Order: sequence, then C-alpha cells, then structure tokens
Amino acid sequence: MRPTAVITGLGFITSIGNDRAAVTHSLRALRGGLEPIELLGNPALPVKVAGTVKEFTVESPSWRDWRYPERYQLSREKLRSLAPHGVYAVCAVEQALEDARLTAGAIGDGATGLYCASAGSPFLIHHHVRQMHAVRGARGDPMGLVASIAGTLNFNLAAFYHIRGAVGGFSAACASSSHALGCALDDIRLGRQERMLVVGAEDVNAETILPFAALHALSTNPDPASASRPFDRQRDGFVASGGAVCLILEEAEAARRRGAPVYAALTGWGQASDGHSVAVSHPEGAGLRAAMRRALADAGVSPGEIEYVNAHATSTPAGDRSEALALRSVFTDVGARPRISSTKGLTGHTLSMSGVMEAAFCSLALREGFIPGNASLVEPDEACAGLDLPRAALDIAPGLVMNNSSGFGGSNVCHVLRRHPP
Amino acid sequence: MESSSSPIGAKATLLRHFPGEIREAYARSCAAGDSAAVDTVVVGVLLDHVPDKAKLAAIAPDDSVALVADLGLDSIAIAQVVFFLEDLFEINISNTEILGVRTIGDMRVFIRRKLADLSIVPRA
Repeated sequence: MRPTAVITGLGFITSIGNDRAAVTHSLRALRGGLEPIELLGNPALPVKVAGTVKEFTVESPSWRDWRYPERYQLSREKLRSLAPHGVYAVCAVEQALEDARLTAGAIGDGATGLYCASAGSPFLIHHHVRQMHAVRGARGDPMGLVASIAGTLNFNLAAFYHIRGAVGGFSAACASSSHALGCALDDIRLGRQERMLVVGAEDVNAETILPFAALHALSTNPDPASASRPFDRQRDGFVASGGAVCLILEEAEAARRRGAPVYAALTGWGQASDGHSVAVSHPEGAGLRAAMRRALADAGVSPGEIEYVNAHATSTPAGDRSEALALRSVFTDVGARPRISSTKGLTGHTLSMSGVMEAAFCSLALREGFIPGNASLVEPDEACAGLDLPRAALDIAPGLVMNNSSGFGGSNVCHVLRRHPP
Repeated sequence: MESSSSPIGAKATLLRHFPGEIREAYARSCAAGDSAAVDTVVVGVLLDHVPDKAKLAAIAPDDSVALVADLGLDSIAIAQVVFFLEDLFEINISNTEILGVRTIGDMRVFIRRKLADLSIVPRA
C-alpha cells in the first residue's frame, strides 16, 4: 500500500489575516481583505483596489526600511537576500512550523523537502537593473540576484532552515503552488520524502500588479466590497493580492508517530493543460475538466462524493465562464451538486500562491467544519446554471473537497482533500 | 535638507539609517576631502555590516581587528560592504584588490588610497 499524506501545519500572511485564527474568522464571516490603493502615485490609473497585506511595511527596495510584526525575529543575514514576499514567506513558515509542532532544527533532517512558488520580485529586479544601468554595469548589490529572481523563495528558505531534502521552485503562473503541492504529494507517495513544506508568496506592488492591467485582466471597479466578484454577471476582472502561505504535508504514519495535529488528508491530484492559448482559458474549460477528472481518479472518488469545490474563479469574464462550464461538465452532467465558492471574492487573486493558499483554506474548512461562501456574488452568470453557489459561509462539515487552480498557458491543477479522520 | 531626487540626496540617503556622526563625517569628507572623516565612514560601514551586534560590545574597532575572524563578516557581507563603499564614494573595487583587505586598518587605508589615487573627493 502506497504512503498517504496529511496536512499538519499552516501559516498565513494574507489580505484576510496574518494567522490561522484571523483567516478562519474572515472565511466564516465573509470579512474581505481588499482596500483602495494608488499605484505609482498615479491617481489616473484605472486600477483602484488590491488585496493588501497588513502589519508589514516593505515598500522600499532596502531591507533596512522594512517593518514587520515584532513577534518574528529576522536577522540581517535573512533580510539581506529577501524580496518583500520573502519576508512574508519566512513569517508564514515560522507559523506553520509552530502549528505542526516542529522546530526549525527538525526539518534539516534530509527527510524534509521544500517546494515553492512565486513570480520573483519584478519590483526588486527593476531596482537592481536600473542601478546597473546607472553605473553602466560597473557594480551591483551582491544580493540583488538571489533576492529578486524567480526561485528567491526556495534559495532563501532552504538556506535559512538548512533543508537537505528535495528543494525546488515551480513556475506555472497562477497554478504554480498547486503544482508544488501535487509534486510534494508524489514525493511522499514515492517514499522520497517524509515531509514537504509547500510555500507560495507574492509581492503586492505596482510592478507585480500592473502588468496584468496591460492584459486587461484587472477589475477597474473602485469599490473594495464588489471589485472581486467571481461568477457574478457584473465581474470585470480580478483584484490582485499577495502575501505568503506555508502548508506542511507529511507522510501519515510519520505524522501519527510523532503525534502531529492533522487538518486533513491530501488524497489525490491531477493536472492537464488546455493546449489552447498563452493567456486565455479554453472557452469550455477543457483542460480544467480533464484535471478535475484526473484528480478524482487519483483520489479514487466519484464526482458525487465531493461536497465542496474551492474554485479558481478569479473574477475575469472569460476565466470564470470556462471554469463554470468545466464544473457543470464534471459534476452537474452526472447529477452531482457540490457547494462551490471562490474565496477570491474575499482575498483577491494571489497569483502563484493562490493554489496552496486555497488548499490551506480547504484544510481549515475540513477541520473546522464549514464551507466558505461567495462573498460578493449577487447575480450569477448564466454559465453557472445548475451550480450551487452559496453566498454566505455554511456551517456544514464537508468530508471531501476539491481545490482548483489554473494559470497562463492553460495549466490546470486540482487537488482532492479528505477530512481526517474520515 | 536631503532630497532623494537629486544626486546629492541620493548618495546621502545611503547613510540615512546610520548614526549622526557617520553622516556628518561623510558630509565633511565630501566638502573638504577630510581623510579622517573618510576613516570614520569606512569603519562605520564595516561595523554596520557585522551580523552579530553583541560582538561589538567586546571589540574595540581598532586597525588590527580582522573582518572575518573578529567581526564575523562572511564573504557575502564583505561583498556588501564593498558594494556599499563603491556606491557611496563612486569608486570601483576589483576582486583582486579586496582579497588583500583583512582588517579594519587594511580597509581604512585601502579606501584612503583609492580616493587619493583617483584624486577623488566624493560628491555628496
């Protein structure tokens, strides 16, 4: 019998809370994390809202200017090679280790690995490249490279925590941390690792957010209460957000031996690509449909057994429609009717970290016994006909849930999580 | 008043987190090419990059203090010191040059010579 995996620790730095209790409260009470923002000091920009990270000040390219909650101890040696989202990530990892009752020293055992996802820091890349041009290449910050490029999370976290197992980064845009989590599950099933840290993180600044405005993918609705409205007829784009989430996945027997607290079991995953467009979802969600079916098959469950789906739905007109059609095909067409919500109505879209963040939300839902709602949904799109989209959070304890993610290039990843014990 | 939008402010801004005496020494080094003031800035920058600040309480930062063995600077911290001083004084320091710098005194003398060789009075 192949090893199984359970989730034993979570850490959150998100727009809806900077610890598990705050995030759980926000999910249950539909307390959103979106705020008005002004990017690049330009009030004329049409993008007016973002999912902001509170308690942190990381607007400067210099770590000397950064401020973060006093409960975290970040030495100069850590700070000097971090991007803004790296600071969030270290804080999330610290929380997750404490949550899983692990010490930092315990994860340098070689049996623990680390998979990460972030887009790097375009903000810091711009800063360092501008500096390089200013001196015509004569000098540069020695930490500029490892602090800013994609991979900065795994470089830094592996070094800080002396991780000697599998370490790597995933780059599949908004599906990245879902790939990371799926591959972490495979490593545990194959017996290669006993424990995996999966971390997703993103900066929240103009350099990360505004390139999506060029794609016309961002909402221009200035109202934080309604700008992110997945599946709604009036949706007009997504609201960008960031932060960091760390999820600790452990081989179930190893977790049991050490008496680890367990949120849920990760019982399967699947992935499939649209093979369609570099930046737009397949119009009928073909890849996502295949990914959901593969995840169900991997977990050995039928569509009718899934009680809740945390949808990827980001609030873009095309993407939400594709996902709705894929959900109808996988569930409605076979008579299944799980509750479905997109928590991005509360958080905004956290890009590459969204997959692991929403898997963590599913873990909370399974352990705490609730189903998150669709915070800002007023009138569902006609493409959602037949889908059960609760507005408020429900005090219903799901037994099996699915988590969807999609990214550029048509990458689609789905996870299946089960209540533990069943 | 410093202005981060001017070249003058941009250089002084690099020292904005440093004690007042270091910032004043930098201003003197710029205005009058004051070598003693340059020394104060160089030592201040070195001490700022010491990872374990508790070490400083037990060390008098004289010329004999070794950057690695006594101050605990690793190769990355030394590279950061070099970058910081290059930016501050608008000089270029090669890898070969820095390999010979092992103590506070070495660094102090090295930067003095570098500025003198290039007839540089740093532009604040």
